[in-house]
Amino acid sequence: MYPAPFDYHRANSVDEAIGMLSDIGEGARVMAGGQSLLPVLKMRFDELTDIVDIGRIPDLNQIEENGNGVSIGALTTHSCIAASALAGSVPILLDCASGIADVQVRSRGTIGGSVASGDPSCDWPALLHTLDAEIQCQGPNGTRTLDINGFVEDLYQTALQPSEIITGIRFKRPGAGSGGAYCAFKRCAPAYPTTSVGVQLTITDGQVESARVALGSSGLTPIRAQQAEAELEGQSLGAGQIGRAADAAVAASDPVDDQRGSADFKRQLIAHLTKRAIGIAERRASGEQVVNSHEYY
Amino acid sequence: MSWVGKSLRRKEDDRLVRGNGLFADDEQIEGMLHLYILRSPYAHARIRGIDTAAAESLAGVACVLTGADIKEQCDPYMQLGPEPCDKIIDLPLATDKVVFQGEPVAAVAAETAALAMDAGQLIEVDYEMLDAVVDPEQALEDKIVLHEAAGTNRVWHSVFEYGDVDKAFEDAAHVVKIERMHFHRFASTPVENNACVAEWTRQGDVDFLCNNSFIGFAVQLLAPGLRLPMEKIRARTYDIGGSFGVKIWNYVYMALAALASRKCDGRKVKWSETRTEHLLASGHGNERTFLDTEVALDKDGVITGIRSRHIDDCGAYTRYEPLGCVIWAQVLPATYGVRNFRIDFTQTVTNKCPVVPNRGYSRMQHLWFMERVVDICAHELGIPADEMRLKNYVREFPYETPNGCVYDSGDYPMMLEKAKELIGWDEWKKKQAEARKEGRWLGIGIGTTLDSGTNNFGQAQIMNPYLPFSGNSEVCVIRLDFDGSVIVTLGTGPSGQGHETATSQVVADELNIDPAMVTVRTGFDSAWNTFSGHSGTYASQFAVTGLSAVHGACQKLKVEMRQLASFMLEADEDDLEFGVGDEGPQLAVKGTDKAINYWFMSNVVNNNNALLGGNLADVTLNVRHVYRPPFEAPDTEKKFGNLTLTYAAQLHIAVIEIDKNTCRPNILAYAAVDDCGSVINPQIAAGQVHGATAHGIGAALLETFNYDETGNLLTATFSDYCPITSMNIPDIQYGHIESPSPFSYNGAKGMGEGGGAPLHTISAAIQDALHSEGIIVNESHHSAPKVFERVNAPNREKVVSVESR
Ligand SMILES: Cc1cc2nc3c(=O)[nH]c(=O)nc-3n(C[C@H](O)[C@H](O)[C@H](O)COP(=O)(O)OP(=O)(O)OC[C@H]3O[C@@H](n4cnc5c(N)ncnc54)[C@H](O)[C@@H]3O)c2cc1C
Repeated sequence: MYPAPFDYHRANSVDEAIGMLSDIGEGARVMAGGQSLLPVLKMRFDELTDIVDIGRIPDLNQIEENGNGVSIGALTTHSCIAASALAGSVPILLDCASGIADVQVRSRGTIGGSVASGDPSCDWPALLHTLDAEIQCQGPNGTRTLDINGFVEDLYQTALQPSEIITGIRFKRPGAGSGGAYCAFKRCAPAYPTTSVGVQLTITDGQVESARVALGSSGLTPIRAQQAEAELEGQSLGAGQIGRAADAAVAASDPVDDQRGSADFKRQLIAHLTKRAIGIAERRASGEQVVNSHEYY
Repeated sequence: MSWVGKSLRRKEDDRLVRGNGLFADDEQIEGMLHLYILRSPYAHARIRGIDTAAAESLAGVACVLTGADIKEQCDPYMQLGPEPCDKIIDLPLATDKVVFQGEPVAAVAAETAALAMDAGQLIEVDYEMLDAVVDPEQALEDKIVLHEAAGTNRVWHSVFEYGDVDKAFEDAAHVVKIERMHFHRFASTPVENNACVAEWTRQGDVDFLCNNSFIGFAVQLLAPGLRLPMEKIRARTYDIGGSFGVKIWNYVYMALAALASRKCDGRKVKWSETRTEHLLASGHGNERTFLDTEVALDKDGVITGIRSRHIDDCGAYTRYEPLGCVIWAQVLPATYGVRNFRIDFTQTVTNKCPVVPNRGYSRMQHLWFMERVVDICAHELGIPADEMRLKNYVREFPYETPNGCVYDSGDYPMMLEKAKELIGWDEWKKKQAEARKEGRWLGIGIGTTLDSGTNNFGQAQIMNPYLPFSGNSEVCVIRLDFDGSVIVTLGTGPSGQGHETATSQVVADELNIDPAMVTVRTGFDSAWNTFSGHSGTYASQFAVTGLSAVHGACQKLKVEMRQLASFMLEADEDDLEFGVGDEGPQLAVKGTDKAINYWFMSNVVNNNNALLGGNLADVTLNVRHVYRPPFEAPDTEKKFGNLTLTYAAQLHIAVIEIDKNTCRPNILAYAAVDDCGSVINPQIAAGQVHGATAHGIGAALLETFNYDETGNLLTATFSDYCPITSMNIPDIQYGHIESPSPFSYNGAKGMGEGGGAPLHTISAAIQDALHSEGIIVNESHHSAPKVFERVNAPNREKVVSVESR
């Protein structure tokens, strides 16, 4: 498998990358870890003329914490995130980062690339909805910060402007009483999830103060299930609330029939994964250690 | 000291683990060209024209091949089948029409692989789309015919009838009818794809470094296809990264690399398949549908007769087919004593990838059918699964099956006992009862299977009486080298089975030397290895066919060594004994210190032969032995005869809980007991069992080739096809028993294929879990989405009926 010919440019800074992208125009594509881009090129599904490799731009692969603010550089790999102290204390990040594909993909693929690819099967865009994350971007017209909500506009379509690059992801570290879980149903390591659900709950005195429910691989974009959140917020968790939230998550989803299963099957999975994620999130919110959130065949 | 029976470390592993293996794609030669094969995106289309001008004018392109070159230079590959198969035109490139997605339509040789692919994209093929037929039953209606010259898609049909079937049904206490069962399409996905480097020299010889696993056969078909005498073709292998039968048929495409080399004045051309090409177009396993099955049973649940209609879907071409229409009959009654059968067997072509002899070839499909029959009858008649097996197992050996096959030895009840012990049967039965009370879907399934080895090629004549094939053979050449070490060449061309190791063990025992002193030449070379038309690694051949050749060669060598020693030591041959002396292995005169060691013997023959004074002219210490199993040609009219020499058996038990939320069949415990007769190398045998188990679990739970109705393959990448990974393999409780074969010199039985035991076992466990839900497991694939479909549409009413008198 060989991609069609292209020109290769390595950018040493964000400014340089943006300059290259603007100069080349439409046929140029950013490459970070290449784990989504290269397979597409090898299958010759994308016809580009130039690759601007941002993979070695310094300082974009740092995880920083400032007070309760967290920022993750766009080039941080899934493996680095999985091994970070941050993921050690925010388990939903570990669920996501360590569950993506296999070690080769995790060692190269980046969080920025995952968000920028606009692929509904990618885990990070769904997950980041549960943390109300912001996407930091820089383009020819300077920097801007976008909400993860609505960032992925359609299948493989994001809010990024031409020549604009994601530089980092920002969110607030979940506080005390908050717990989250990201649960995917997968066939095997190198396969994308059949569906996935992320849940972050903040629970005070047995009552859900705030809830986030987001679905991956469940439609053309990652989906935030706001009605499901509403079913949980202000409630103490019981089978009734959890069941209603699961139903609402299913209602918010829009899965299709494909080789991973029928839409009906995926709806059943979404209901199940929502309940499972709420259960794990609740336990984690109370300080319990829970490992292994994903389910494999 | 005996080396046979010990887990000698694999000799091959040192080079393989260190990355010092030589696989076809490793070959790097200055000036070598790379081949890209342009493949049809359509499953069925007429080729109206091909424009290669743009591709040919791209810098770095050496040549382009199209159907026009092929028509000029090739003859269609020989067909094994009779009418109408003999009308099927199978060529390395499609000429007028494509009949499956991925069929080659053009090929480009260029300076780099990337360039070749770029050029391939510039070729314009004008296709006229035709309707495709992917469903075997529809294909048999012949509304869409793939091969117009053949005039029909029905490539083979016959009835296999034994005993008195109608009487069995008249006398039956119960008749169980199963409307339909289906064995799905998958393949074994070797880690190394197909590859070769070809050179068509100016002298008109063709040289291949390739990874074909049955070269003895391949060159016989390749040569006439390329219009060459056989000896003009030299095919070599070194290391092969798995074959599982899939690589038997890669010579169809190897021809393209040779033809490209010819067109480029003899420059070497490498062809290396990508994974998607492999999944799309290298070769799939046979897909089979079982219709209108009726089972006669006596009042105790003993099966007395079976009648059924089987439709095998062999994809777009009859490559190796229609052999599969007969091969299954090696295991006609499976492990059961059923005497009366009527199997109406039809094979059809469809617009899908051609099938090839994939691990467990054709028997696995039939064994699955028999296992489903036994298991469904047990559930329908309320007989516990283990009792049902015990009522029906063959118990006396050797056992002649209704169609004349002879099961050499075995003890299926003991295997069942052992597997139950390994898994903790009674404990699980209790747990199952509790689980059921809680409404959980927990099932325990048994799968018993056979791995028939060393087949009688005479069965091909049941398929086509005019075929000049019968019997079986393998060849070994053994030489006592100047330094007293032993050099062995084989016709086998292994693909990971450890032939170098097992052969060394046998030779070490026979010649009383350390296995380290035995060099088994790696790979195969049709120019330098001696071989027969059966030579290769396929169909559980080696332990018996291969090692019997090695053993026979050792005996011949020992005869020569005795003659030589007798002359040199001036002693009677009867007074000589093999042993180890101060200077290593030797032949000595009993009771004396007169001896001659191995290196001295070899030296006398090869360097110092004046000592022989012109005597012993026939002694060369370089001997060849061909092993031929004692087969007779079967009765082709009655379809009766012994089709295989040995019958290894496997018995697996699985405990599976189906997660009600995800419909995921979760394997809670798994036991695999195998009986391959006397074991040559326990570690290698265990490795084969684990590998076959993984393949079977993968096929049952993950892997399937799904086509849409236009013949578009929907699972053409590993992400979609999802081959099994270590994550999906449960801990396997492994055990074995040994029922030595009376028919092999060493008591061993061929065992590499494994008979698809997990497919039978997992189907049975899921049946056990879901029978109470009104579900009959009549398909072999059990991915979570499949199980979801099944539990949402109970099929028992529709699929099964029981008449009891
Ligand atoms: C076999 C396999 C299995 C996989 N399984 C999973 C899985 O289970 N879950 C999952 O989430 N992912 C999976 N992935 C995808 C993987 O996570 C990718 O790493 C990730 O989606 C993309 O990151 P990347 O850095 O490799 O991006 P690239 O491949 O380099 O880029 C992807 C796209 O984003 C653009 N891009 C990249 N970085 C930026 C940036 N900073 N700013 C703007 N645009 C940018 C590129 O132009 C391109 O269009 C899998 C990949 C493979 C090959």
